[in-house]
Amino acid sequence: MIAALNGAFDDISRAIRLHRVWIALAHEDIGDQHRRTTLGPLWLLVNYVAFVGTFVFVFQPAGKDAAGYAAYVAIGLLVWFYLMEVMSLSVSLFQREESFIEGTTLPLFVYVLRLALQSAIRAGYAIAGCLVILLLSGPPVASPWLWSVAGLLLILLVTPAMITVFAFLGAFFPDSQFIVGNLLRVGMFFTPVFWVYKGQEGIQRYAYHWNPFTYFLEIVRLPILNGELPAHAFGVTIIMSLAIWMIALLLLGRYRKQVIFII
Amino acid sequence: MVSIKLHNVSLVYKLHEKLTLSAPDRRVGGPGGRIEGSGRKQFVQALDGISFELKAGDRLGLVGPNGAGKTTLLKVLYGIYEPSGGSVAIEGKVDALFNINIGFRREATGRRNIVLRGLISGWTEAEIEEKMEDIIAFSELGDFIDLPFKAYSQGMAARLAFSAATALDPEILLMDEWIGAGDASFQDKAKRRMDELAEKAGIIVLASHSEALIQSVCTKRMTLRSGRIESFTTEPTKRAGKPAKL
Repeated sequence: MIAALNGAFDDISRAIRLHRVWIALAHEDIGDQHRRTTLGPLWLLVNYVAFVGTFVFVFQPAGKDAAGYAAYVAIGLLVWFYLMEVMSLSVSLFQREESFIEGTTLPLFVYVLRLALQSAIRAGYAIAGCLVILLLSGPPVASPWLWSVAGLLLILLVTPAMITVFAFLGAFFPDSQFIVGNLLRVGMFFTPVFWVYKGQEGIQRYAYHWNPFTYFLEIVRLPILNGELPAHAFGVTIIMSLAIWMIALLLLGRYRKQVIFII
Repeated sequence: MVSIKLHNVSLVYKLHEKLTLSAPDRRVGGPGGRIEGSGRKQFVQALDGISFELKAGDRLGLVGPNGAGKTTLLKVLYGIYEPSGGSVAIEGKVDALFNINIGFRREATGRRNIVLRGLISGWTEAEIEEKMEDIIAFSELGDFIDLPFKAYSQGMAARLAFSAATALDPEILLMDEWIGAGDASFQDKAKRRMDELAEKAGIIVLASHSEALIQSVCTKRMTLRSGRIESFTTEPTKRAGKPAKL
């Protein structure tokens, strides 16, 4: 296990030294995805705002509950779309990078960081849209918002580990690409992205408390909506993040040289 | 001192029975070689007992039928495949040309692609900037250098790849077959550059099916068959450093 961890740290430190490579490639990726379009990456902002607008239009509760629903959905969709994109792109990561993996000696973590940066840049456009929606509809800006920023940073920090775990899963178990894709599509309904949990019984109670994504959403959402530090959600998220990093390091250390033989 | 030393190198990998819900897939990925074992315990012996030494100025031609292990050996030398047994000791800065499209992005211009290729090979931005005009001049792409890579013909892509890979004077250059993609005048130019590289006490390892190319470039020849060395000879008509002519 020590050897595996050493191998993982070696791979990661080499990848960090090659930061120019993955920064350049991530920028190329974003440019390529929107080449020849008029709005370019601004489409990411348009998509996000259109989704939030649709959900608010369809699901906004009547009466006093209406206040704050736009902010609730805006933050929920921001985090959910980010996590969904990261996971669904990760499962096919090593297959997509096959020609690089078979032709260069770049450490595997370079591809992980390339995807992490690319997802962060794409999320940046949604964050801009989210901020505008919050300023127009949400509670006044206050110091607890900094906890939301901390929540976003925590999610960014765990992203490379999530990508690593899902990339190995996809490499060793190709069917997982479809399983993960379907689960994520269904998962949105089992996660408090657009429905609000207020202690009601039934399936929503379990979906709220036993769904790991709930906590990723709540560490960003609760500080802004309730103006307080959600200590429990932060605690759960930190423990989950450490566990994901541990699994990622072991997978990277143990199997990084095997990936080339199975993709 | 630039050198390559391999001792009893073998490369064996298991054919992973992928956990899948679909019918078992019998396609074999990865390098060639012999498939041994049966059922769930199949493995591929891609290289077996490979030992040889190369020193500064050597130009080794790898020959053998498809699946003999030529590309696999190049990839072991480059560090892409970790050998399962034996030892590999390499002194010197290695660069490799396996696949023309590695590190090249279709939508980016030739110039931008040189930058990306350089970064992937571990060059600094200053080194890339310094060599940029040389690379463009050597590739003879002219104004095409500012067009997207997807507009290039296969030969133009080969020119760009070769120019970029040899621009920073690698001490050890590993090349797979594709050098034949350029036109005759570029092939001559490429051979001259390989000669210069070998004269500067470098090592070239070239895998090819082209007898003419091997004879004009290489001073040593290794024949591989089913992952083993069948013969290792020094070309009698050549000596290191002598400019090659077709």
